Amino acid sequence: MLENIALIKEFHEHMPTSKAQAIAQEYLQQLDLGHIGNYRVNLCSSLELFYVMVIRALMSQKKDILILAPLLLIKRIDTMDAIIKTLEQLNDEKKSITILDIHSNELYYKGCRCNIIE
Amino acid sequence: MQNSKLIKFTESIGDATLSFLDSLYEALHFSALCLIHLLQAKSYSPAMRMVLIKQIYFTAVRVLPLFIILASVFGSVFVGVVIVLATKYNLQSEIGSILITFVLNEFAPFFTALLISLRSGAAINTEIAVMRVNKELNTLKHYEIDLIDYLFLPRIISGIISTTSLAILFAILMLMSGYIFTLFYMNMDLHSYKNLLLNAVEFNNFVVLLLKSIAFGFVTMLIPIYSGLKTQDAYTAIPISVLSGMVKLFIALFFIEVISLLLQSL
Repeated sequence: MLENIALIKEFHEHMPTSKAQAIAQEYLQQLDLGHIGNYRVNLCSSLELFYVMVIRALMSQKKDILILAPLLLIKRIDTMDAIIKTLEQLNDEKKSITILDIHSNELYYKGCRCNIIE
Repeated sequence: MQNSKLIKFTESIGDATLSFLDSLYEALHFSALCLIHLLQAKSYSPAMRMVLIKQIYFTAVRVLPLFIILASVFGSVFVGVVIVLATKYNLQSEIGSILITFVLNEFAPFFTALLISLRSGAAINTEIAVMRVNKELNTLKHYEIDLIDYLFLPRIISGIISTTSLAILFAILMLMSGYIFTLFYMNMDLHSYKNLLLNAVEFNNFVVLLLKSIAFGFVTMLIPIYSGLKTQDAYTAIPISVLSGMVKLFIALFFIEVISLLLQSL
């Protein structure tokens, strides 16, 4: 996963691999996911993969991040609250994060600290 | 009735020709793009260099044990056959130049290219086809990661470096193991064998070896990559893509071999 996340900075900012991977590892450790650094896709849970994708997006130079139907990827969760809190924790550069989901998933977002626009 | 059949037949030939020319143009355009990226300094990002190192390891280093055994076995057998035939047709004085031309100009680069095609070419074709079907290529594009710089260039450069270095190693091993045969068959000592080869070798033998290896290395990676990219969006299309890529690759290898023979005969 480290290589996967670090790729963005290595490619766009020509950052040395070791430095880019150290940043990626820091992000993972913030979520207590440091152990998945050397895992391949098949060894990660759907939630871990989701966080890897978010971290990868945060490492890009784009200001806006659009997450499309996260519940299609993340299996077996009761609410998006914990995930949204984690996204806030990760988003130290204060990028704009928008989650686009279908109306029938509205229940998962009840009570979350986010603006819901129908 | 016959006229309409003739028109349909002519149209089908025209369609096939246009489709062939279109594919040829696309393939040449892709090759030109790769060559342009090859010459640009900005293509060589740390991520690309990391992939390049891994590719060289997988293509050139991991194959070494098998390669050394094959080169030694083929070397003694083929050099033996050449010497026996040369002796049979009273060409003993030409043994040195026959061996050098045969090993350096023909056998070493061609055999190395065949081995790398079978081992790495097929693997790369499958890898790119799987990435395409799994939409991984689209993800890379979304992150504005240039596919040529990140995926294709390291593989092409590793193909060129691996084919060239392995062809040189193959030629050295082949000539060294050939000595075993000359020792037992002709009672030739190492000094005489060495002189026989040194007197026969010319600068253009090395030029041909290098140019052919570079050309072989380039197509050995380029064609499987291109074929993988052209895979249709279904897992069942992957074997078809690999099959078609390998057939095109073998045709290209033989084409280069024929062109090189024609150029050498000029």
